[in-house]
Amino acid sequence: MEKLAENKIVEDLLPQKFGRQGQIWVVSLLAVCALGFYAYCRQLYYGLEVTALRDYASWGIYISNFVFFVAISLVGSLITAVLRLTDVHWSTPLTRIAEIIAVSAISFAGLIIIVDMGRPDRFYNLFTHGRLQSPIIWDVIVITTYLFISLLLLYFPLLPDLKIMIAFKERNGKWLQKLYEFLGSFWKNKPEQFKITDKAINILSITIIPVAFAIHTVTSWLFATTYRPGWDSTNFGAYFISGAFLVGAGGVLIAMYVFRTHYKLEKYITDDHFDKMGKVVVLLALVYLYFNINEFLVPAFKMKKSEEEHLMGLFTGEFSPIFWFAISASMLIPIFILVFKKGRKPKWAFFAGILVVVGSWFKRFLIVTPTLLHPFLPMHDVPKSYTTYIPTWEEWAIAGGSLAGALLVITFFARIFPIIPIHETIIETDSHEKA
Amino acid sequence: MRKHKLIQLLVLIILLVPNVLMAQAVEKNTLSLNLKYFNDNNITHHLLVQAKSKIDGKFQTIPNIPVQFYIGTETDKTNLLGNGVTNERGEAIIEIPATAKEAWLKSPNQNFVVVSSATKKFDEGKGDLAITKAKLKIDTAEGKMITAKIVALVDTVWKPIAAVDVVVGVKRLGGILNANETQTYPTDSATGGVIAEFKRDSIPGDLKGNIVIIATVVDNDKYGNLSSEMIVPWGKKSVYMTNFDHRTLFARRGYSPLWLELLAYTIVVAVWSIIFYLLVQIKIIKKLGVE
Amino acid sequence: MKTNENSRRDFLATTLLAGAALAGCGGNPFTPDEVTDIKPSGEMVKLLSVDGEIIEVDKAFLKPVPEMPSVPNAEARIGIPGKKFAMVIDLSRCKSVKKCQSACNHMHHIHPGQNWIKVYPMQESEKTAPYWQPTTCMHCDEPPCVKVCPVDATFKRKDGIVLIDSDRCVGCRFCMAACPYSSRVFNWEEPQIEKEIADKPYSCETSVPQKKGTVGKCDFCPDMVRQGGLPHCVSACPNGVFFFGDILEDSVTNGAETFRFSDLIKDKSGYRLMEDLGTKPSVYYLPPVNRNFPFENNEKA
Repeated sequence: MEKLAENKIVEDLLPQKFGRQGQIWVVSLLAVCALGFYAYCRQLYYGLEVTALRDYASWGIYISNFVFFVAISLVGSLITAVLRLTDVHWSTPLTRIAEIIAVSAISFAGLIIIVDMGRPDRFYNLFTHGRLQSPIIWDVIVITTYLFISLLLLYFPLLPDLKIMIAFKERNGKWLQKLYEFLGSFWKNKPEQFKITDKAINILSITIIPVAFAIHTVTSWLFATTYRPGWDSTNFGAYFISGAFLVGAGGVLIAMYVFRTHYKLEKYITDDHFDKMGKVVVLLALVYLYFNINEFLVPAFKMKKSEEEHLMGLFTGEFSPIFWFAISASMLIPIFILVFKKGRKPKWAFFAGILVVVGSWFKRFLIVTPTLLHPFLPMHDVPKSYTTYIPTWEEWAIAGGSLAGALLVITFFARIFPIIPIHETIIETDSHEKA
Repeated sequence: MRKHKLIQLLVLIILLVPNVLMAQAVEKNTLSLNLKYFNDNNITHHLLVQAKSKIDGKFQTIPNIPVQFYIGTETDKTNLLGNGVTNERGEAIIEIPATAKEAWLKSPNQNFVVVSSATKKFDEGKGDLAITKAKLKIDTAEGKMITAKIVALVDTVWKPIAAVDVVVGVKRLGGILNANETQTYPTDSATGGVIAEFKRDSIPGDLKGNIVIIATVVDNDKYGNLSSEMIVPWGKKSVYMTNFDHRTLFARRGYSPLWLELLAYTIVVAVWSIIFYLLVQIKIIKKLGVE
Repeated sequence: MKTNENSRRDFLATTLLAGAALAGCGGNPFTPDEVTDIKPSGEMVKLLSVDGEIIEVDKAFLKPVPEMPSVPNAEARIGIPGKKFAMVIDLSRCKSVKKCQSACNHMHHIHPGQNWIKVYPMQESEKTAPYWQPTTCMHCDEPPCVKVCPVDATFKRKDGIVLIDSDRCVGCRFCMAACPYSSRVFNWEEPQIEKEIADKPYSCETSVPQKKGTVGKCDFCPDMVRQGGLPHCVSACPNGVFFFGDILEDSVTNGAETFRFSDLIKDKSGYRLMEDLGTKPSVYYLPPVNRNFPFENNEKA
């Protein structure tokens, strides 16, 4: 990192008001959210009838969206915890991006589960009548825990930055100033305070890893604890986690590019960051590819009768276009792009990131629905419409609305708080200088 | 499939839109009321009526038909035994009430009538039944033999009745398990009795090994339905096992396996105490800042 | 492993009229202490005995049991004491008349198009014989659906029946994913039931009325069993395909014929579906052998 003066860093990294582009972005996200909200009102009124979900395909894009959210939220633990603990310092500017993606995604994971429920009005039953035997209860517990830990991991490193921002009273305006003061007026940059936060961040970095593994393993168990072909796999926990790290890293690539170009942060999110993050994505894609080969090749080698219909549906049947798209978009093509030094330049890496995220979304769809449409006993004695699943506009609107909502949370966060940790960047620069 | 759907649709229409039916001048269906008499263990006795109607060329049982039961004739309102409404199987039941004492004692032969008044969809219906008072008595004989005997009231004397088919067996849920390979026995002309060998060894009984043996006459033209039961200690003592209160993965809330509870609570307590610890740290930082 | 629950096992009680409650009727062979399980309702009715004497009988001991209100749901969660229900489905008799299905749909007011009983045209492989296979809920002894329910909305009772509390169900549909027999259906919209029935309080034992946003399935009709009857599918089948009974009595009946359960399973080589999954179903099948009718599938594919 080139030598930068402290006040220059502060100036560069302070949150900025929405420009024209920003306003259009926020308004369009709000519009998508509003449409999703309207669709959800329809669903509340008419019931899940408005979806294409039926007795066989009883879970659809809500659940695949849920899995996607849980998956992408894992990135918080990857970037902040895993890299921090392994003493990798280049990732420092990315930690807050990763954490806010995690917090926002995990919140919307919880919301989308409520959307999927037939009786959201009875949500409290999960607490008043919860059964410890059910993996859903495990999921409720670990997701809440993960949300809390992620919030703490967002908060502790934010404290010194809050002090910096409080100093800009004029610039902040009344409301933001109040918020900053509420959150961090007590931070005085005392060494004792730093000692505590450093320790707290270390504890959190260690704690978040098993909890992050737990959220996605438990989510995989929602499927793997059943008998169905395609889900009945001992590979599922590892398969889900490796996929989650991949999509999360892809998401960070996208966010890096967007924040860098939009807020002109080229000095802070450098080409070197894209290069390193690109390498990480290649590694994660290869790991995920490895688990995919395990997940599909082994049952395909045996071709048990119950698995055959499901597997052939994916390889050559009705789901094959999505299947091969998802495999190539989330793994093969990104690997091919990012394996070259030129491919790890920001633009290409951004493109690869988009491929990873979009491919991964469809991958989650393939995990959920095709299995349900290949039950043990043939589909029978149901109306014809029950035997297929093509999501309705309401489902797309709600799923899209939740994705837009998650992006909104990230956007507003970047508006209110510095998306690159100011204090830590200053420290890093200082240590560079000294070195 | 299509036919089945049609019937469903029809039932639906009948159930859901009676108003529509009322508005249109739909031809009413005739209702047939089939009346049966049951003597239960020679103690109580009851009548059962089943309402049926031919709709779409098929006989169907008709629910929600109000019916009145009479002993003797329906013209004399003092003969009213009671009212009923047919249930979802089209059946209504009435126990013979104490008020019928006088009429019942009048004669060895009895007449029962059931009537239903006309409804929106059905004409009025009527069914009647004539029976002769009879009793079936079950007993046992040496060597695990079951005997049963039918007597009917002739004038004032109970006389044995010949050539009535009697089912003899062990009473089970929803049915009678034959005492041996033979299901029914015709009563003997001299004694009015039947004899059946009990060959259901080691059939489970209750805690003490008791079972209920039963003899019945089903839908006899003259005597109706008769039954007689008796408890005999011929069964195997049963032991009732259940894992209802065990800690299993499929048990109810609060009954999860100990290993699961231990694991789950340990993890939850460990992680949340860390979170709690960190919240306390925030408090400490705050304090340091205020000082 | 298993606990002894002898005190609950007094099935004789349900079969006999309470002698104690009879007045003016001597020589009753049944000692009242046999009757332990039926609780007197306290409501006495004056009846006429066969002998023409006036007797007083507690309502609870009448037979057939008069139409009684469904048991409270707390009791419905425990089940009928001293019973363990099982079903035997004789595939050699099934011609796919589907009377079982229509009776079930009618009595439970199931949404049009959905079915709790499905009759599958089965053929294991190209050269094996086709046959009809009706399926109900299997009422597994180790039910995978109950395992995953987050709120105790579906539960396993002492008498082996798996039921659903539609007032509790949150509609997560995990149970539907967990059931390998595809026996669960969901109320995707407001059920089309006449108002009178829809307004009734929900009973776990009748599974009526079905509620929007909750799961439904075959319930083995415990309300019918409590009244001394048989499940609707059993009585509706014109070919006697379905047999129902208490496995602790070792007998099953289709209404017309009653068999000793163990003999029937032994003689006809009964089996259960997907035994390898370890769900331990309560429904047994008799193989489709010696059928004297052709397999005619007129259903649209």
